[in-house]
Amino acid sequence: MQLAPPDPSILARRDRIIADLKSLLPGAIIHEPAGLATYDSDALSAYRQKPLACALPASKEEVSALLAYAAKERIPVVPRGAGTSLSGGALPRPDGIVIGLARMNRILEIDLENRCAVVEPGVTNLAVTRAVEADGFYYAPDPSSQVACTIGGNVAENSGGLHCLKYGITTNNLLGVELALPGGERVRLGGKAPALGGLDLLGIVTGSEGLLGIAVEATLRLRPRPPVTRTLLVAFPTVAQAGRCVAAIIGEGIIAAAMEFMDRRAADAVESYCAPGYPEDAEAILIIELDGVDGEVRDGLARIEHIAKTCGASVVRLAANEAERARIWAGRKAAFAATGKIAPDMLCMDGTIPRRALADMLDAIAAMSARYGLAFCNVFHAGDGNLHPLIMFDAMRDGELERAEAFGAEILTLCVKMGGVLSGEHGIGVEKRDLMGAMFDAEDLAQQERLKCAIDPERLFNPDKVFPTLSACVEQGHMHVSGGRLPFANLPRF
Amino acid sequence: MSAAGVCRLPICRGSDMAVLRPSSESELAEMVRAAAADRHTLEIMGSGSKRAMGRPTDADDCLDLSALRGIRSYDAEELVVTAASATPLREIAAELAQHRQCLGFDPADFGPLFGSAAQSGTIGGALAADVSGTRRILHGAAREHLLGLRAVNGWGNVYKAGGKVVKNVTGFDISKLMCGSLGILGPMSEVTLRLLPRPTHSACFAVRDLEPEAGLHLLRRIWREPLEASGLLYLPKIILEYFDLGGNAEAGIVLLRVEGSDEALKDKRLRLRALLEGLRVEDLAQGDALLATAANGSVFAPSPHDVWRLAVPPSAAREVAAALVGTLWYADWAGGLFWIATSGDALSAAAGLERICARAQGQLQLLRADEHQRRRFAARPSSGDGVLQLMRTVKSAFDPLALFNPGRLYEGL
Repeated sequence: MQLAPPDPSILARRDRIIADLKSLLPGAIIHEPAGLATYDSDALSAYRQKPLACALPASKEEVSALLAYAAKERIPVVPRGAGTSLSGGALPRPDGIVIGLARMNRILEIDLENRCAVVEPGVTNLAVTRAVEADGFYYAPDPSSQVACTIGGNVAENSGGLHCLKYGITTNNLLGVELALPGGERVRLGGKAPALGGLDLLGIVTGSEGLLGIAVEATLRLRPRPPVTRTLLVAFPTVAQAGRCVAAIIGEGIIAAAMEFMDRRAADAVESYCAPGYPEDAEAILIIELDGVDGEVRDGLARIEHIAKTCGASVVRLAANEAERARIWAGRKAAFAATGKIAPDMLCMDGTIPRRALADMLDAIAAMSARYGLAFCNVFHAGDGNLHPLIMFDAMRDGELERAEAFGAEILTLCVKMGGVLSGEHGIGVEKRDLMGAMFDAEDLAQQERLKCAIDPERLFNPDKVFPTLSACVEQGHMHVSGGRLPFANLPRF
Repeated sequence: MSAAGVCRLPICRGSDMAVLRPSSESELAEMVRAAAADRHTLEIMGSGSKRAMGRPTDADDCLDLSALRGIRSYDAEELVVTAASATPLREIAAELAQHRQCLGFDPADFGPLFGSAAQSGTIGGALAADVSGTRRILHGAAREHLLGLRAVNGWGNVYKAGGKVVKNVTGFDISKLMCGSLGILGPMSEVTLRLLPRPTHSACFAVRDLEPEAGLHLLRRIWREPLEASGLLYLPKIILEYFDLGGNAEAGIVLLRVEGSDEALKDKRLRLRALLEGLRVEDLAQGDALLATAANGSVFAPSPHDVWRLAVPPSAAREVAAALVGTLWYADWAGGLFWIATSGDALSAAAGLERICARAQGQLQLLRADEHQRRRFAARPSSGDGVLQLMRTVKSAFDPLALFNPGRLYEGL
């Protein structure tokens, strides 16, 4: 991965820029090396570099003032929420200003009459649900980092989560934003009223990975909490049977709230890590969750049980109570950390394939594993075909990192060949930037870049991200975990 | 290059308008390149069923996509369909019905409102006009269901965007921009949509004798319950004669629909009974048809009225209803969408409606009026000049020569 070299003319002006920033936002500028160390990376910690400075605005007006200054001085800006991106979306530049939005963390309005909440971008994902759950509502997107990750980051990355199969990802749950554009001007996109056509600027901004603007306020759709939630644990003697079961459930017209897959290696790792009590001797485990009114859930469970048994399930176990349900999920949520314990290093991939291709993909990954001589395990959101294969290796051994990266790139390239995509939920960032050519041809990329250039002609907003600038060569796509130490090790990952 | 000629269709305005009818995506691109070279503007058309909707465009030539039709792939197990952009909606719906599936955005059929035959629209037109139907309150708008596309930009280059799987965050989400764009970013050649299983059972109810305030309040109350209602409509007394509802009408009526399996419906009925305690509730056998009529606006098809839509935050519905006393209207989407019919000069009606719209922080759309009025009504985005400027910027990234549907969305856009 090569990043564009820093602009020496900006580095040469460093002292003046910092003085200017300090007078612009007194008390909110970090520029000492020790302070900047916090901001030198996000959760893709294989890449690190310190920014020129980090600014922590407390209001949308301060964001605008910073952007106006950055535009005047032609300084790159890198927006940052909590820094939990797995794709390097908040990786700084040495000649750039990180704009950290964590101080803008107020919930501005809870409007249950219109089933929405208006929040500042630094509010954490989970805080939204916490604020409305007593009234029986919740905010549906639930990325695994939801304790820490911010709504602003969710908007930038179009974050998903475990329950997006039924309730959609951020873009489907976002009603409006106030967006600060390059130069600092702010516009309101969307809002509490449903849109009646027009250019869906809200839609294009969501998931634009900080390349088009910074959300300084967001209006979020709230949903009434379903009265009943039940969770099933299903085990299969073979991976192919589990794959068929997933396809059959979807094909039957059952939209589960969540449908998660773990192969035997992942289940074994989890069992020795936190003993969730998964069935032994199963080659594949599915965790299936249904929610809704009682009759709907009961009916769905009966149908799924029938499908699972027809597909050859060896165990179908319904969580009897909330404690058992939590235990089943705890195992799934610990899968990444547990894998990190059994291998010195690990790469986590993130691609999506058509659900019918699951079994073929799993076979192909097993074959690749033999060819590369590296172990792996599979954990993924089976309901929507979003794979997270974990490749195990030891970076201390000569050439093993390169082999692991080649293995990962081959998986993602195969995802695209099977009719899928490079990223289901982690975003492109710097991590998969150079793989974009595997999915999009030059004309596809040119159209996206024209949009970028029209809105940010100076390319000051989050440079180096998403678009390959050097070539379309296939390099890598992974989350690097060294010595079993995950960035944000205390956060669940799934 | 084939099929270029003079327009003989009744939908084409003048005999001087050439019709370009590409038979393939590459021919489409070639025609756009030629138009770009000649600086000929293009009116993009599927079947033309919504040509009289909203602002007219004044293009040199007509780009008739009707030959780009047919389902390219349909994977029922995957709940994904890919079709050429001018595939008739009825062809897609019929194919999906065989697998008990449907399009998630429940497309309304605006054709009859504009004098076209029922069920004559295309998938591309339904997306470009965002004709999201009654189920929008449950499953979202067209934008929620377009996974990916192939299109031609203003340079005459074919590009693709998005993907063919349900979960994807790879690159900019250009699919969103296409929905509701009325074609100003260029013609799509192929679209990929996510599908939903058709609900196996559905139940519709009418709650009678509700004044607007009580009726609109009830809509929101049910919308906030975990019932996943797929229809929440209020018909005030003034509009009832346009709907075939029978019975005596003291005041307005709430129509509501819940869907799901047999077992799910039993539970939802129980919950509704508790919510509607003390109200005059009856089962409605023809509920689906009534809800479709409302979503299509087809009650106004034979009338001479000008037809508007006003989207507002549902909590503003009461205030809007109070301001509309004496006017023909009804509300869909739990009170978030008002259909309004006016007579007389559309522009003087516009002034009143714009005031109501501004107070409610909503969005006003003139759907049907004579061409002169539609041209003069200054539609604009609800949120000001900065947004309009940003839309121009985005348009320029797709269509720098402003070839496609000039003025169709807003003046100069």
